[in-house]
Amino acid sequence: MRIFNKIVVVLLLAGLTALGVCLLVYALNIDPYRLEDLPRVLGLGVFYESLRGYIGVVENGNLDVLEIATLVLIAFVGLILLLLEFKPPTPRRVRMQRGTYITRSVVEKEANAAVEQEHEVLQSNVKVKAQRKPGAKVDITASVRPGEDARSVQSGVKNRVQDYMSETGIPVSNLKVQVREADPRQTETRVK
Amino acid sequence: MDDDLRLARAASEAALATEGVHALGTGRYAEAATYGPGEKVVGVVVNPNEVRVHIIARYPPPEPLPALAERIRERVAQRAQGRATTVVVEDVEVSPVANL
Repeated sequence: MRIFNKIVVVLLLAGLTALGVCLLVYALNIDPYRLEDLPRVLGLGVFYESLRGYIGVVENGNLDVLEIATLVLIAFVGLILLLLEFKPPTPRRVRMQRGTYITRSVVEKEANAAVEQEHEVLQSNVKVKAQRKPGAKVDITASVRPGEDARSVQSGVKNRVQDYMSETGIPVSNLKVQVREADPRQTETRVK
Repeated sequence: MDDDLRLARAASEAALATEGVHALGTGRYAEAATYGPGEKVVGVVVNPNEVRVHIIARYPPPEPLPALAERIRERVAQRAQGRATTVVVEDVEVSPVANL
């Protein structure tokens, strides 16, 4: 959301700057740039007329279904963006207790170390998200050889990560493990 | 400014003296440090309202990391002159004596 906001603000500021430069150049009234020509150059007259016409159509209730759907969609998107704007940002660090935090990279490293202990796992991908409540949200994707029992590997990985994390005391509030089959020639480890 | 530096030095010493702390961290995106004239204390950020200590824990830790962080927080809080104290475990480093 922050990136989206930044893009919108950058575009808005770029537009305002360009408009400001135009206004400055035309305000000097140097031939052929005259201030009275600026609305025509920018096409503001046509824009105003189109807008006035459209507002008239809306006021008279002469909209077709597609236009109504578009307006509803715009309003809906605006509402969603507004709600997202009110949502507080996700914290960067994982909260352990009051006033104590651990970085996501440490949680990721430790989770990776735990997953790599499983013999069936050839490669793992760990994603960690901090939450406003204590504990991290950990998503693990473990790659195994084709034909392995995915269900037992999944529960094995989950148990191992939970044990390992509780040993070190790293709080994990949400742990998800996915197992996918992969070609051993394309994974980090071929044999364990 | 001098007070902040003195406080940062005290917090740094308190954190480093805690068993299980390998070193102080340097921050990830921005340097975690307190700056003064001709000097900086890396690993401790002193703000008007907060003292934040970045640590690198020793592996294996002598106690679970939340307990270690809490112990450091308590030690630093005694020197924090009433400011809120935060401890961030930035990394875990394998101790050279650990037989791993």
